[in-house]
Parts: sequence; structure tokens; C-alpha cells
Amino acid sequence: MTLAILATVALGIASGFFIIPQSIVPYMGTIINIGLCILLFFVGIDIGNQGDLFKKLKSMGFKILFVPIMVAVGSIVGTIIGGTLLSLPWNQAGAVGAGFGWYSLSAIELSKYSAQLGTLAFITNISREVMALMLIPVVARYIGKLESVAPGGATTMDVTLPVISKSTDGNIAVIAFITGVVLSSMVPVLVPLLMTFG
Amino acid sequence: MDILLYVIILAIGGFLGYRRLFKPAVMNRLDTLQNLSLLLLLFIMGVNIGLDQEVIYTFGTIGFQAIVLAAFSIVFSVIGVKLVSSRIIKQK
Repeated sequence: MTLAILATVALGIASGFFIIPQSIVPYMGTIINIGLCILLFFVGIDIGNQGDLFKKLKSMGFKILFVPIMVAVGSIVGTIIGGTLLSLPWNQAGAVGAGFGWYSLSAIELSKYSAQLGTLAFITNISREVMALMLIPVVARYIGKLESVAPGGATTMDVTLPVISKSTDGNIAVIAFITGVVLSSMVPVLVPLLMTFG
Repeated sequence: MDILLYVIILAIGGFLGYRRLFKPAVMNRLDTLQNLSLLLLLFIMGVNIGLDQEVIYTFGTIGFQAIVLAAFSIVFSVIGVKLVSSRIIKQK
């Protein structure tokens, strides 16, 4: 799927660069927004279909919700600090960070604002996913098992879950999954919210 | 308000998924449909990038910024969880 995604984006870039006329530019925002709504509907079904997360949460204790909250705060604060060093506007840097590694959704959301920001969100969040895959075992070993949930962000419910599960234990894997679901639900809200500031 | 619209759509999808209103066969087809709509959207996003000459010519700079932002988001997330980890689970 990752390869298909990269190929599709590359094909789109080439089409936009060589074939598709500039006259379409004023409509791109609306086209992207409609597509985004369709995608969010499917994402909702996926999340709902995961079964009774509430029950799992109750048995583990609601304090584990601090994990996604801290990952969210850390990601946004971290990108704002990094963005300041790069002299990027703080709200844009924060919005890119609020993608939490979910590169497809955050990039599509932000390409509504500008192609540049969409590109930045895409590469940042895809890099986060790749770095997370490499760092999870290292963090689990040298910093802590619970901390190894942090690098993956929203991807801890799918892509990075097997690596976390292998590097830690069943309990942490459940926390990782719940963290991923909570963070994924936050992406469609926090990314546009941060863009309304500044 | 776009955000409200997103939340409502997400919630409707979530409700339908939670209620298991779709049979497994339909879910499989939905999965394919979801992948296709994702790829179509990413194609459109790509077109949006390709149409913007400035982005194409500053691709290297954007890539560098992206790696810095990704690294900062990971480091601060780990620090964030570290701050609360001793209260959540006992670990060695």
C-alpha cells in the first residue's frame, strides 16, 4: 500500500506539472474537501468497527488516556519548537505535527490551505512513520516500554502496532492500539483547528 | 465550519461501524472502496502539488524541514509520555 501511495502521489505531481491546466486551481480546495469528507466517513466506520474500546479502556483504567494526550501535546509542542528554529509560522508547524504520523489524512487536509503545506505535512508524517518503525525497539529497550508507544503517534493502531507488540508485551500493545485510535480521531479536528489560529 | 462537518461525518461512520450494520462481505468491499478513494485523493493532492511551481522548485528545502519536524515531534512525544509513565504503569 505504501508503494501504491507514493506512486499515486508521484503520478499526481507529474500530471499537475505537465498535463492539468492552471485554470483548475481555484476549484482544488473544494474538490479536496469533498474527497476528505468521503474518506472521513470510511475512517469512522473503521474506528467504530474496532468493537468495544470502552470496555477495554475500563479494564485498563482511564488513566491510560494520558498516553495519547501526552503524545498529542508532545507532537504539537515539538513541531512548534522545531518550526520556530526553521522560522515557520507556529500554527502551521503545529498543524503538521497534529498529523501524528497519519500522512495521508493530514497532508490532504493541509493541501486545502496550500500545496506547500500539504507537501510538508506529507513528507513530515511519512518520515515520522519510518523513523518510528526504526526507533520503537530502541525506545522500548533503553527508555521504557510505555514510551515506545509515543513515536508511532496515530499509526500505533495499524502500521507500527506489530513492532510495538514485538518490542513490548500484550498490555502495552492494547495501550498502543487505544492510543492510535484516540490520536486518529483527533487528527481531523486538531489539524484544521490549529490552522484557525495565527 | 469545516471541523464540525468532519466530526459529524466521523461520528456517523463510527456509529454505523460500531453497530456492525455492514456484513463482512460488504465491509471487504468498503475496504477496497476506502483504499480507492484514498488513492484518488492522494492523486488530487499530487496534482495540487504539481500545479504549484514554487513547491516543485523548493522540494529539497521542504524535505529538510519535514525531517526536522518529524524528529522534534518524536522526541517531544517520548518526553511527554515519560513525564507520566510512572503514574500509568509500573515498569522496570
